[in-house]
Amino acid sequence: MSWAEEVAELNRRKQLSEQMGGPEGVARQRERGKLTARERIHALADADSFREFMGLTGRAQYKGDALVSFVPKPQVEGTIRIGGRKAIVKASDFTVRGGAGGSPGEHLGQELSASARSIEWRIPMIRLLDAAGGSVRGFEELGRTYLPDGNSFTAPEVKLLSIVPVVSAVLGSVAGLPAIFGPLSHFSIMVKGISQLFPGGPPVVKAALGYDITKEELGGDAIHVKVSGCIDNLAETEQDAFAQIRTFLSYLPSSVDEMAPRVTTGDPPDRREEALLSIVPRNRRRPFDGRKLLQTIVDKDSFFEIAPQYGRARVTGLARMNGYTVGIMANNPMINGGATDVAAGSKAIRLIQLCNTFHLPLISLADEPGFQVGLEAEKQGIERAGARIVSTVCLSEMPWCTVVIGRLYGVAGQCHHRPSGMFRRYCWPSANWGSMHIVGGASAAYRREIESAADPEAKRQEIEARLNALASPFRTAEATGQDIIDPRETRPLLCEFVEDAQRILRTQLGRPSMPYLP
Amino acid sequence: MRKQEIKSELAGTVQSVPAVGQKISPDDELVILESMKMEIPVGSKWAGTVSEVRVQPGATVAEGDVLVVIEVG
Repeated sequence: MSWAEEVAELNRRKQLSEQMGGPEGVARQRERGKLTARERIHALADADSFREFMGLTGRAQYKGDALVSFVPKPQVEGTIRIGGRKAIVKASDFTVRGGAGGSPGEHLGQELSASARSIEWRIPMIRLLDAAGGSVRGFEELGRTYLPDGNSFTAPEVKLLSIVPVVSAVLGSVAGLPAIFGPLSHFSIMVKGISQLFPGGPPVVKAALGYDITKEELGGDAIHVKVSGCIDNLAETEQDAFAQIRTFLSYLPSSVDEMAPRVTTGDPPDRREEALLSIVPRNRRRPFDGRKLLQTIVDKDSFFEIAPQYGRARVTGLARMNGYTVGIMANNPMINGGATDVAAGSKAIRLIQLCNTFHLPLISLADEPGFQVGLEAEKQGIERAGARIVSTVCLSEMPWCTVVIGRLYGVAGQCHHRPSGMFRRYCWPSANWGSMHIVGGASAAYRREIESAADPEAKRQEIEARLNALASPFRTAEATGQDIIDPRETRPLLCEFVEDAQRILRTQLGRPSMPYLP
Repeated sequence: MRKQEIKSELAGTVQSVPAVGQKISPDDELVILESMKMEIPVGSKWAGTVSEVRVQPGATVAEGDVLVVIEVG
């Protein structure tokens, strides 16, 4: 006697699970232009690498001892390999009750949740979100309402952020708790046309505020990757989203306990780029392209930009220098003069936190005119944003190198510097700095002298000329020891810094000096 | 001939514009916008001819406004 009959039963149950919510639900999923949860996992994972867990879980109905129907839980989960390395994937299955519910309960013998496994196994968590959160239908099933407690299953999701890389893809209309899981990550992405994000969708908005709005208008990519910054990147297709997730993870270690993987890029570390000698126009009113500057310095084609459409005055992302992963940011003077507004500041904070959490060196290419001024900036709370940046800078400890390319002014300028740990700063001859700008600053500080002059305008110009003569970076270097470099030396010096940083990073492995706050 | 709209990526004041009929190559500066005391050049990804100029120097533009239309080729 063998166990062939039970194995046949196992296979039958697996088949029932693989049917997800049934042919009708799957057909509707396709009509919406979406892949199914299982198709998504196969498109994301390395070939044949999906190892499902909790795949037999669901709601079963029996007649006597015979199983007569089975609906799987509304998530498909397991481990995959991505770029050869293990990760946990948890995909909502919208075809089963709109992807809602189904979190592991507290039954005796309950298996670990996906996030708990991710923590225990020290491997990245990838969420493929396509779920609407709770529904009032749940009240009828329970025969009561319930207090909206979530700590038992959201606490591990928060803990994850300071232990392993977490990625969220928004792949449908995502509301409720799943909507919060979107930005509760180190990197998030949505797909043009099929992805929307909100705590409550159009019917909830209608009931609360009385107006009509479409899902796309309320929480589509035009809102979230451009205006709110809740989601980082936009993908044209689901395949594109999976490719971006793969790329993002390729820069990171599997957990805070490991060094980021190094690859061979073939770009010589001592490459001197002639173009850097003239990339900053001598006419100070002419901006340079911060993104182009950054791409010229890092290993060729290695820059992966995070949140390119949001807070555009700052360009942030991951790149490689001599094959090592770095976090890198640059002011982009093409947008708002490169000034740090709340959005640009929040990108800087998240990049510093990402580097600090996963022990990556940070490179900052500064052309910083200061915090954004004006009424709009005040309404957004630019001072609190400033306080957060200053705090994040001071609490971080990963090696950091700043190259001052152009302007470095005010408290925002200060945020490209950290007076502790392994920090290095180089300046280009085109750099100029101060606690505030000479133009504008002169009018304020010398107001009485200017106003009482026979020709106030001539007096103002005379004072500005006097101050400008002091602004040569060489005068600062004489007094402070600040190093000024030939711009063409930038890449070789940064590659050397990143190499030296590896020794320090190895001493910092493990829990980061501050928790990662999304 | 394919027409292409060149849009402003930021809010600012128009400082200079090209002439209708002007031949352009990629990376040419078509429009200069002034924003935050900086002169921001706006270029075209395509080579072609300027067929329409929608803004005049001194005008205020918002992000996404069409500045110039070009005929590609």
